[in-house]
Amino acid sequence: MSVNAWIVVGDQSAIGDLITVARSLGGDGTVAAVVAGPRAVAETVAASGVDRVVWCGTPDGSPAEASAPAVAEAVAADPPRVVLGGRNPGDRVLLGAAAAGLHAAVLTGARSVTAGADTVTVVNAVYGDISDETVEISGPVALLLDGGSVPAASGASVPIEEVTATPYGVKVLETISSEFEEVDLNAAQRVIGVGRGLRAKEDLALIEALAAAAQAEIACSRPVAEGLNWMGKDRYIGSSGARISPQLYLAVGISGQLQHMVGVTGAETIVAINSDPNAAVFQQADYGLVGDLYELVAEITSVLE
Amino acid sequence: MKIVVAYKWTSDPEEATVGADGIVDWSRARPGISTYDPVAIELGRRLATETGAELIGVTVGAKGVGTPLACKAALARGLARVVVVEDDSLKGAGQAELAAVIAAVVRHIGDVDLVITGDSSVDVAAKMVPTVLAGELGWPAVAEVTEVTGQPGTLRVGRAISGGAQTLEVSGPVVLAASADATAPHVPGMKDLLAAGKKPVEHVDLAALDVPASSAVMTITGRARPARKERKHQFLDTSDPAAAAAELVKALREVGAL
Repeated sequence: MSVNAWIVVGDQSAIGDLITVARSLGGDGTVAAVVAGPRAVAETVAASGVDRVVWCGTPDGSPAEASAPAVAEAVAADPPRVVLGGRNPGDRVLLGAAAAGLHAAVLTGARSVTAGADTVTVVNAVYGDISDETVEISGPVALLLDGGSVPAASGASVPIEEVTATPYGVKVLETISSEFEEVDLNAAQRVIGVGRGLRAKEDLALIEALAAAAQAEIACSRPVAEGLNWMGKDRYIGSSGARISPQLYLAVGISGQLQHMVGVTGAETIVAINSDPNAAVFQQADYGLVGDLYELVAEITSVLE
Repeated sequence: MKIVVAYKWTSDPEEATVGADGIVDWSRARPGISTYDPVAIELGRRLATETGAELIGVTVGAKGVGTPLACKAALARGLARVVVVEDDSLKGAGQAELAAVIAAVVRHIGDVDLVITGDSSVDVAAKMVPTVLAGELGWPAVAEVTEVTGQPGTLRVGRAISGGAQTLEVSGPVVLAASADATAPHVPGMKDLLAAGKKPVEHVDLAALDVPASSAVMTITGRARPARKERKHQFLDTSDPAAAAAELVKALREVGAL
């Protein structure tokens, strides 16, 4: 049976949402996954509800990206209508290789994907999500999507087919763990976003106290994670970072640039605290508090406690 | 040895407006080098200085990306020359198309050892052009690159990964996408701008390049301004911070946010 959708997988087996999209296309073809990460990832994927798993046998000491040729070959050997990949750096590299191998179209802002008889239609958010374009594609299309959590093992695993292709000459010399804990912001019901309004890294203690009292996760604007380096990169929200839809988003000292706010448009309630009454963040807030964030955050924390 | 930096001349969507019909109006936006691309140029400049490699800028897009002003802005950041493909058929081109054209320019330049790009463009923020470009060239790609040392051909590449950092050894040509905070770009001064005016700019005809045909045809059949959730826009009186905090908590409990 022909392949309807390929899912490319690197080191991270969290592809639940990709499987959902692939299945929603319907049609007679199968949903296949090609894994360039370790064998353990292929085993998790094999039990997650796909019809076929191809593992590239990525050599020890090589990152998943080194197996891009095997991924591109596997996909090109059974050309699909769509190729799906997650947003992490390794998956992007594998998706790029697969897309180039097919000379496929590439879209990265899909809000919905539907398949007709000869075309695939994607509603695609563009330019920091200020506009939605409906794009009809005839021919193969590669979609970069949020991966999502892996569904519970279906019980039955599909067999793993192993393929080989000469990998690229990329070797890992050293891996260092960061001081930052990894986080899945999408799992949080309440999120506090910290911006440049916070004056020093030590002042994060104030935010941490509020987060503990509100049972919230802490996130930030891009410059706080990149540049200031106060938090891990998986905590920054925005068009090139995390996009979240929590019950509550509390923006503290965030100016509200477009590139940040597109990451929280799905939040049920938005609260903004900023000393500048003209800050753009207030245009998208349900509740606005103009004032000193240090004072206000401490007061809110004490009310919650 | 040749190092190519692929950069984008474009505008920030924050300066654009969008009509109810979803059509984006860029007329009031001021184009420039895309926000994160100076980081890529800086990484390339340092490696070129250390290794004696030639540093070449490449940009492709609609008419306007290769104006003297645009080229000077890029050259002043330390590029030795730029190669431009300006063609209105590339207006609004997708990532796959841009990557295929850049790959063709890299082949046109010849003997390129390394291509560096920025993290993502300020307008599209797709992060896919470098990876499709690598696929088109048959080269490996590494994203989130924080550091590059060594010789083109055998590079040591530092990169950020989820939960940490990694050092890689890369043999042969490679496409590297710089992380946005890999380095602080050098700010060009008057001397750099004056020197930039004398550096060579090569305009290449799109038709003269060997760009592989796409297997996909994309047609835009509709546009819409996305519906945004209605917000309450309710300002709380903060003259008494304690009272404001109590009012906020009460309101958030009522709507079920706490």
